[in-house]
Amino acid sequence: MEKKTFRGGAHPPERKDRTSELPIEYVRSVKQVVVPVNQHFGPPIQPLVKVGDTVKRGQKIADAEGRMTVPVHAPISGVVKKIEPRLQPNNAEGPAIVIEPDGSDAVDFLPVLDAFSCTKDQALARIREAGIVGMGGAGFPAHVKLAPPPNKPIDVVIANAAECEPYLTIDERLLEERSGDVVDGMAILLKTLGVAKGVIGLEANKEHLVSLLRKTIDERRREGQEISVIVLETKYPQGGEKMLITAITGKEVPSGGLPMDVGCVVQNVGTLAAVADAFNKGQPLIERGFTITGGACKTPKNLVVPIGTLVSDLVPDTVQVDDENLARVVAGGPMMGPAVPSYVFPIQKNTSGVLLMDKAEARYFQEQPCIRCGRCMRACSCRLSPALLNEALNAGDLDAAEAIGVLDCIECGTCSFVCPSRIQLVQRFRIGKQLLRAKKQKEAQRAR
Amino acid sequence: MPANSLLLSSSPHIYSGVSTRRLMLSVIIALLPATVFGVVLYGLPALGVILTSVAASVLSEAGFRALLKRDIRIGDLSAVVTGLLLALIIPPSTPLWMVALGAVFAIVVAKEFFGGLGANPFNPALVGRAIMIMSFPAALTTWHSPFAPIADAYTTATPLNLLKMGQSVSDVAATVGASTPAGLYWNLLIGTRAGSIGESSVILLLAGAAFLLIMGVIAWVTPVFMLGSIALFSWLLGVDPLVAVISGGAVLGAFFMATDYASTPMTPKGKAIFGIGAGLVTVLIRQFGGFPEGVTYGILIMNAFAPFLNKLRVPKYGFVKPAKPAKEGSR
Repeated sequence: MEKKTFRGGAHPPERKDRTSELPIEYVRSVKQVVVPVNQHFGPPIQPLVKVGDTVKRGQKIADAEGRMTVPVHAPISGVVKKIEPRLQPNNAEGPAIVIEPDGSDAVDFLPVLDAFSCTKDQALARIREAGIVGMGGAGFPAHVKLAPPPNKPIDVVIANAAECEPYLTIDERLLEERSGDVVDGMAILLKTLGVAKGVIGLEANKEHLVSLLRKTIDERRREGQEISVIVLETKYPQGGEKMLITAITGKEVPSGGLPMDVGCVVQNVGTLAAVADAFNKGQPLIERGFTITGGACKTPKNLVVPIGTLVSDLVPDTVQVDDENLARVVAGGPMMGPAVPSYVFPIQKNTSGVLLMDKAEARYFQEQPCIRCGRCMRACSCRLSPALLNEALNAGDLDAAEAIGVLDCIECGTCSFVCPSRIQLVQRFRIGKQLLRAKKQKEAQRAR
Repeated sequence: MPANSLLLSSSPHIYSGVSTRRLMLSVIIALLPATVFGVVLYGLPALGVILTSVAASVLSEAGFRALLKRDIRIGDLSAVVTGLLLALIIPPSTPLWMVALGAVFAIVVAKEFFGGLGANPFNPALVGRAIMIMSFPAALTTWHSPFAPIADAYTTATPLNLLKMGQSVSDVAATVGASTPAGLYWNLLIGTRAGSIGESSVILLLAGAAFLLIMGVIAWVTPVFMLGSIALFSWLLGVDPLVAVISGGAVLGAFFMATDYASTPMTPKGKAIFGIGAGLVTVLIRQFGGFPEGVTYGILIMNAFAPFLNKLRVPKYGFVKPAKPAKEGSR
């Protein structure tokens, strides 16, 4: 059967075999956590605790008013030692709450809530109060996606299980080990949105999980809900929100629009499991799974750790690193994850992987001139003509860049991956977007 | 841990194995069968032309860039491709000093003057040939029968020459020792005819082109539209369309020159129009121009349009047609 997919894309080496068979290991005791206050896509929030406070596991420690805000909870019980700026995996410094364990196991979870008897507002409030953000990468507040305006009817909820980033296997393990929670999370979202149709979309390299998922769905079937599993072609960036929607529904999210404009809500499978925990256990988002691997990682693993765990604190008891050969550390997957200056950084709500790349993997290439081969244009999943965009930006022509569609770039990195001249196209487009937005802002101010 | 030794470049952090050098190497491999066949047909003089052209191209690129104190990039093999292509589109009897001059002109003037690799608006090999035709018209239009010693200075006419002089397909067929038009087709496909070093064997060129298509080095759009356009317009002008496609430099030009990255459009629509235009100009020159063959100018003229044809992009993902602004005064 021909697998559904989108136009364009590329086939980077998968490199998932080192961890795809390894069961998730749970790390419960850590010597400290460094919890960044702002882990969501939205306006900043403020700490609710001060240095010296004793906090319980699951207690809310930072929050603020506002539709796009999401609170943060204490991942362990202990004492707040410091509140200070710390390096976050996105390479920016932000306020972080440092908690050291006090040996108690005091827990302060939310009460258990039955999603199928509570009101929609109660359910949305629960998802926000549990601190749930999109765990696939962007950290978009989950409750915002679930409250579309009335003129945007939703007809399908899509679980993003594509996991198209090379190396990463945590979503795959989650589907295998916690399929019940993933399906429960989907059912809760369907109920909350009042939608009947749910789709779990995964790449063909995870086809062996389909029977397990279908069995789980059958066991937990609920009246008026229809959850299906769709196998997609293994192709990067199949897990990009827009590409996933196009592959499954055939529709394209309009330029500048959101998935809700084509009746879709997309959530990562990790987010779905977190939603299930928030209702069934009352547990806020205080831990997450990620894959730690790469050539300089001697012990590749799928781990679940308290949010805020420093990767360096996992070394050497849980993870052994070949420091001699370590050449690049990436927070996330190799296609989109930012490179960070060291592995002393906290695991956040949206950190899906840690790559410890060795010298052979992390080769650095000198940029060569563009030969105009057009490979980037064939690979671009947004059909953007990266070579022409690069040309326009190099010439400082922001209007031409906008006309080609620089603001539509999803920064998936496929163009840079296929470029035979190793041109840092995505990097240019990120800068181009910033320049264009700054220019528009200036023009808007002048017009006022 | 040695934090200061970590690489901090922008994502993505992995790259496909395809490099510029590998793409150029693929083109060279694709041209090898036709090149070897050219040497078999015309002997050592052809080999001399090929080696001279490649050496002059590589040396002039290295020398010119050294003179300008720029990084020497001959490792990307693009100069080898230019030199090889130039050798394949000129007669085997071309004096070597003319070959060297043409190659130097192609590299220095047509390529490096414009900024080097990727920045040349016109195909360097074709510019080299065009300059040579203008400078040395006699040498560049002296053709030799295959397997005949070139020293004998025995010159002959190419099938295109004969067609241009008004001979019928059957008459032309007779000149290559074939009694029927089918014999002429076969002769042209195999390539045992008078012509430039590498243009004659359609079968070997197609084999190379197939390799490039399978490897994803070139796109099918331009060659298909160009050859289709040559066939169509030739037929409209009363010329046998098959002969028009498989004679002269049409196949070599369509698959190896009109697919040049830097000097041709990148968008699919642009490629199609480029192909149609190049085919049309080729036929017009063949029928009405001063030369029997028009592929060189067909492609060079369309090269000039490439930047404009690049504006014919496919609509981006999620493209929404902007709503028509309300007419003024409709209130």
